[in-house]
Amino acid sequence: MSHVNATTFTIVVVLFVIVTGVGFGAARWHRAGGSLLHLDEWGLGGRGFGTFITWFLLGGDLYTAYTFIAVPALVFGSGAIGFYAVSYTIMVFPITLIFLPRLWSVSRAKGYVTPADFIRGRYGSRGLALAAAFTGILALMPYIALQLVGIQAVLTVMGVGTTSTNTYVKDLPLFIAFLVLAIFTYVSGLRAPALIAFIKDTLIYLFVIVAVFYIPTRLGGWGNIFGTAQAHFASISPTTHKAIGTFIPTSKSIGSTQFDFASLALGSAIALFLYPHTITGTLAARRRSVVKRNMIYLPMYSVLLALIALFGYMAVADPVTAANVKKAGNSQLAVPYLFQHMFPSWFTGIAFAGIIIGALVPAAIMAIAAANLFTKNIFTEFFKLDASPELQTRMSQWASLVVKFGALLFAVELPHTFSINLQLLGGVWILQLAPMLIGGLFTRWFDRWALLTGWLAGMIFGTIAAYNVSSATASHWAASSDIEFGHSIYIGLSAVIINLVVSVVLTLVLRAAKVPQGTDETLPEEYTADPPGAPARVPAGVGI
Amino acid sequence: MTQASAGRRSAVAAHPITSAAIAILVAAAIFFTLWVPVYARITPKVGDFPFFYFYLLIYMPITSVLLWLAIWLQKRLNGTTPDATGGER
Repeated sequence: MSHVNATTFTIVVVLFVIVTGVGFGAARWHRAGGSLLHLDEWGLGGRGFGTFITWFLLGGDLYTAYTFIAVPALVFGSGAIGFYAVSYTIMVFPITLIFLPRLWSVSRAKGYVTPADFIRGRYGSRGLALAAAFTGILALMPYIALQLVGIQAVLTVMGVGTTSTNTYVKDLPLFIAFLVLAIFTYVSGLRAPALIAFIKDTLIYLFVIVAVFYIPTRLGGWGNIFGTAQAHFASISPTTHKAIGTFIPTSKSIGSTQFDFASLALGSAIALFLYPHTITGTLAARRRSVVKRNMIYLPMYSVLLALIALFGYMAVADPVTAANVKKAGNSQLAVPYLFQHMFPSWFTGIAFAGIIIGALVPAAIMAIAAANLFTKNIFTEFFKLDASPELQTRMSQWASLVVKFGALLFAVELPHTFSINLQLLGGVWILQLAPMLIGGLFTRWFDRWALLTGWLAGMIFGTIAAYNVSSATASHWAASSDIEFGHSIYIGLSAVIINLVVSVVLTLVLRAAKVPQGTDETLPEEYTADPPGAPARVPAGVGI
Repeated sequence: MTQASAGRRSAVAAHPITSAAIAILVAAAIFFTLWVPVYARITPKVGDFPFFYFYLLIYMPITSVLLWLAIWLQKRLNGTTPDATGGER
């Protein structure tokens, strides 16, 4: 395990250096002029991306270490339940098509940079916007942490890393990769990940397609892969005396059930385009039609995700990989070990580089989005109302660094039996924005105080419920589903239902009490507008 | 259904069938993956793929087509209503 393959290592390093160079050079790419020291430039790439670049950018956002490491790890460890991720990435596009074009339009018409900008404009409530900004930043940290765990998995299998028992020393190479990421994000803003996404996707398509066609031939065909997996998950674990996993979601009420499967998929699908980073990617699109068209093309990435999820079963069917993963006691290593065992070392290098870069790109976009939120909706709003565009951009650059170090803490401190829980935990939090954000895009019926109370109820319930889930290996934060009313269900979904019920009931009460509703600065036609041409400028101080 | 629901009520009222078709297309795309009992089964196998896995794979291109149709219909819907381009705001 500590043996480093020179060929693999060299290829990874070379590709990493190329990408870093592109990252720094990106500051000059696609610039119509104008200073990079403007939040529209640094944070939204000048708002001029067309269908093609948006596709790459959103794809880079959506398919991350979650896809390459976390999902196959869950499939490897538990079987069919991991395929909820496939169901989720199908469902997400029709769901998103319902509300995202409206958010794009109103944001363009009003010059909103973040989802919290919209919340404040819609409800005339700084408090609610603060809640939205806080939630966005908090939810992104475990998601970025997942990217780091993914990089860590690849580095572990490569044998890179010192043998020190100190976590921070042991993961030194991770921190170096991380630092490079942090610096080029700081310098180039959103352009860096958009440009790197091209390289990343090329690498990923290459190794996924090769793997999907080649590996089954080495493992006795798909029939054998599915057969081995089915037998493996039906076998009884000697420690828990239950079946190791499931091959098809069961119709029972507790465990890897169809209900749990559907709730995880639905919760994740609603959550995805509530994240500030996916909204950032969307707002960088040039036209409304660009956003819609992407809902047609993006499922192409989902096909890839389904194939990658199947790598989990390939790892089960390959005795050497299965033994390696078991010995290391870390399911996250399933895909890296599978590639290492199946591919010649040079190709392993390409695949590993693809995974590492595939984790860095979204991590950069996420950090930028969280930074925009902090600057626009916390710093400028509450601390320095007259911040100049230069100061705002500087602030965002620093905030992006702070967010990344927050993520590092999540990565090191939380248990990662299944790193997918990091993403699902982020989902529990971000879902609490659904009533105010999605609701607000369609109706102004909700009362702002009712939404704030509902949000608080959902956040508290979700956090406590997630904290209380224990397993054989971890006493807290062990999973993201628990049992409500006798059924296994994704905590994010049950929390947002509580949130919604509280919001509706309180709105009825407050409306009956004739509580003032605040001013709504948006107009109905702005939700369907499609302003062409020059990008909207961020208004210096939108009145409250 | 995105635009249909607000701000363009005239378009919906003028083309109830097209609007309904758009809503049904989007709803179907969501429902047939959300309702897991539809596909949580091993048989019939398609090649070496158990039904559950085959279904999830094949459903994605289908979603693409459904959404493409929905967006195309929406475009037609908007194109036939004079005030529906959203203006230049």
